[in-house]
Amino acid sequence: MTTPLVEMTGITKEYRGVPAVKSVTFTVMPAEIHALLGENGAGKSTLTKIIAGVTGASSGSLKVAGQEVAFRSPSEALAHGVAMVFQETSLVPSMTVAQNLYLGNEKYYNRLRGLTIAAQQFLQRLNFNVDPLAMVANLGAAQKQMVEIARAVLQKARLIIFDEPTATLTPEEKRHFFALVIRLQQDGVAVVFISHAIEEALMIADRITILRDGELVVTDQASAFDRDKIIQAMVGRTLSGALYQRHAGKVRAPGAKVLSVQNLSMGSMVRNTSFTVYAGQVTGVFGLIGSGRTETAKIVAGVLKRNFFNGGEVRLMDRPVTYRLPRHAVLDGVVYVTEDRKLEGFFDQMSIAQNLHLGRLAAKGPAIVSYAEMAALAEVWRKKLNIKTINADAQVIELSGGNQQKVVIAKSLVQKPRLVIFDEPTRGVDVGAIAEIHQLTQSLADDGLAVIVISSYLPEIMNLSDRILVARQGRIVEEFTPSEATEQKVMYAAVH
Amino acid sequence: MSGGNRRGRIGQEQIILAIAIVVFGVFSVLIRDFLSAGNIVSMVQSVSVLGILGLGMAITILGRGIDLSMVASMSVAIAWMLVQLNAGAPLAQALPMAIAFSVMVGILNGILVAYVEIPAIFATLAMGVTVYGFGKYFLVESDVNHLPEAWRWLADLVAARPLGLPVPVIAFLGCAALAHLALRYLRDGRFIYAMGDNPEAARTTGVPVRSMMVLQYVISALIALLAGLIMTMLVASMNTRIVSGTLVYDVILVVVLGGISLSGGRGGILSVVVGTLLIGIMLNGMTMLNLTFTAQNVIKALILLFALVLDTLINPRDEQTAQQGDI
Repeated sequence: MTTPLVEMTGITKEYRGVPAVKSVTFTVMPAEIHALLGENGAGKSTLTKIIAGVTGASSGSLKVAGQEVAFRSPSEALAHGVAMVFQETSLVPSMTVAQNLYLGNEKYYNRLRGLTIAAQQFLQRLNFNVDPLAMVANLGAAQKQMVEIARAVLQKARLIIFDEPTATLTPEEKRHFFALVIRLQQDGVAVVFISHAIEEALMIADRITILRDGELVVTDQASAFDRDKIIQAMVGRTLSGALYQRHAGKVRAPGAKVLSVQNLSMGSMVRNTSFTVYAGQVTGVFGLIGSGRTETAKIVAGVLKRNFFNGGEVRLMDRPVTYRLPRHAVLDGVVYVTEDRKLEGFFDQMSIAQNLHLGRLAAKGPAIVSYAEMAALAEVWRKKLNIKTINADAQVIELSGGNQQKVVIAKSLVQKPRLVIFDEPTRGVDVGAIAEIHQLTQSLADDGLAVIVISSYLPEIMNLSDRILVARQGRIVEEFTPSEATEQKVMYAAVH
Repeated sequence: MSGGNRRGRIGQEQIILAIAIVVFGVFSVLIRDFLSAGNIVSMVQSVSVLGILGLGMAITILGRGIDLSMVASMSVAIAWMLVQLNAGAPLAQALPMAIAFSVMVGILNGILVAYVEIPAIFATLAMGVTVYGFGKYFLVESDVNHLPEAWRWLADLVAARPLGLPVPVIAFLGCAALAHLALRYLRDGRFIYAMGDNPEAARTTGVPVRSMMVLQYVISALIALLAGLIMTMLVASMNTRIVSGTLVYDVILVVVLGGISLSGGRGGILSVVVGTLLIGIMLNGMTMLNLTFTAQNVIKALILLFALVLDTLINPRDEQTAQQGDI
């Protein structure tokens, strides 16, 4: 048997006394593709960060190519041939591709032309179609990832770790990415990738490791798994598809016309889009990244900063409205539940109660704060949404992704909206919470609210929607009823 | 405090309070007369101006801002008022004009930070220099402006002891209580904490972030004006040269020392009171020990550095604050 490239034994990592990873034993063989799966908070990121030297382990041993190591920084790991590509890219946006490739490895004197030529030759050798003189800020997500990979290869990495590499890619780009991974493997580079997409792991990985609550559940050849088995290992119970089964035949009839958007345009992101949303229904909006769906929603809810309307009309309850601030939209009963909860979702220093109550204060709440009312409000919503927390004073930053998302949703719902826009409501949310959030969206529509769910996850759209709108290149291009929609049809409309 | 510190955990406030008590104990053993009633009163009185300024600074820092123009707007507004009084204008004219001046400085600060989107630290720094230059050029000619004889009774007011406490101390404690209640029980107070915690989230939630920012700087300018009035009552004059002194750093010192984080949203008014207490004890003790002004400055600077390090250790800059930028 060959020596494993990476061999972790009994690795434990604690944050403030709370273990994120509990005595995990994990190996990576040379030139293998290894998928790391698990719910949010299962410890996948922590585990890979230890291998890549981003954080240190609290205890346990780590061997790279048979040699005992304890990396103190990512550059030490890189010197041993371990590179990590993060979700948020670590490239410098204002530099060219070539400059980024050689960043940190420049000689004392650099000729820009020499650098460009070297980068050009190197990229060609990898068969990457990226212009070395292009500014990184102008590249798409997939191209940025290519540059990151090229940089890792240039620095002679023997193992490249990807954290959710396909989360931001279109299907086309995903295929390209997988081809790349296989080419890396042929060159003798091992790849570890963290993913939420079970199908991807089954399709491409040689071996699959599943983590749950910081512990290793199972490691085996990919051929030994199927979808159900993986889900069961991830959640520790059988869910087998029930989560994404269409609620049998039940489609709500449209109520009053709540929102109608006519010929809305903004820059190159939103082009002359028109659609209508009715009360008492869930309107699903499917679209790939860059289809302008988030931007459209943000214009409607006044969230987009400096939104220069290039034209068009938004009517709420048949009254033309132009929101330039989220506040105005909130006061009119239009709330936008963000796709990026950490950046613009919750207040991390505040307790759950303070977060929820702030939503109420911002929507014409009383000028004087009543702490009894705050506690009562929190109690009601904690029960309603099953928000799990150790105690009522816990700060939201300490909660799991799913519970954070519930707080963000509840904060918007206390504002008593008539139109709720969910943007990727279950991104980075564990399986159990997904089911609860889906139930909540359904009950909101049952209560007569107009609900928009924006998602790039097809099963979610298919499962939740009473109407399905498909966005492509800045406009709504097609509409389906749930009965006529199939995954193929919807996807076809989104990409062609 | 009301920002949501976890209960049962020892915060910076408690640490600083403990240090203040220890220092107080040491000084009372080392220095004769330190414990005398006269000294304690004068000690508290001398830092109450600093404390009042600290309250204004605290409010801006809690909302993820900072107001470096406080001392400049205070000294120019008060000096201008004194110039008018000396020229024979009635207080009923001079004071409202000083208030209007302060409000205008606050509004300008707010506009620069909220609408032009200049980082608060630079906007208020530039505003401070501008206000001082403008004031010295157009409004006030000499550095030192005395309270005219006719208004000396104002200064005598300081000697009065309602409730057995000097007027400046009552002003400080009263303002602190008001600020505490406002931050905790008023909707706008919660908005300030929300903005300091996560400005983007505050905006999407529907908090009127920009008008709150303007309000925040108007409040700090008005509090500065009040501190200036007290200062004038204490020394019967206003020296505009304090603008180039270290006062503004002392104000930041008392604020940060007590546990108000420069990254916003953390800490409370009690932090300012505790910080003021410690600095008051230190300054008084050092003066009684005959330490030179320079030596005192060195010690203050070291304490400020210590407080900033403590702030960074207790409230580490996470990814999020790094992205959005502090202050």
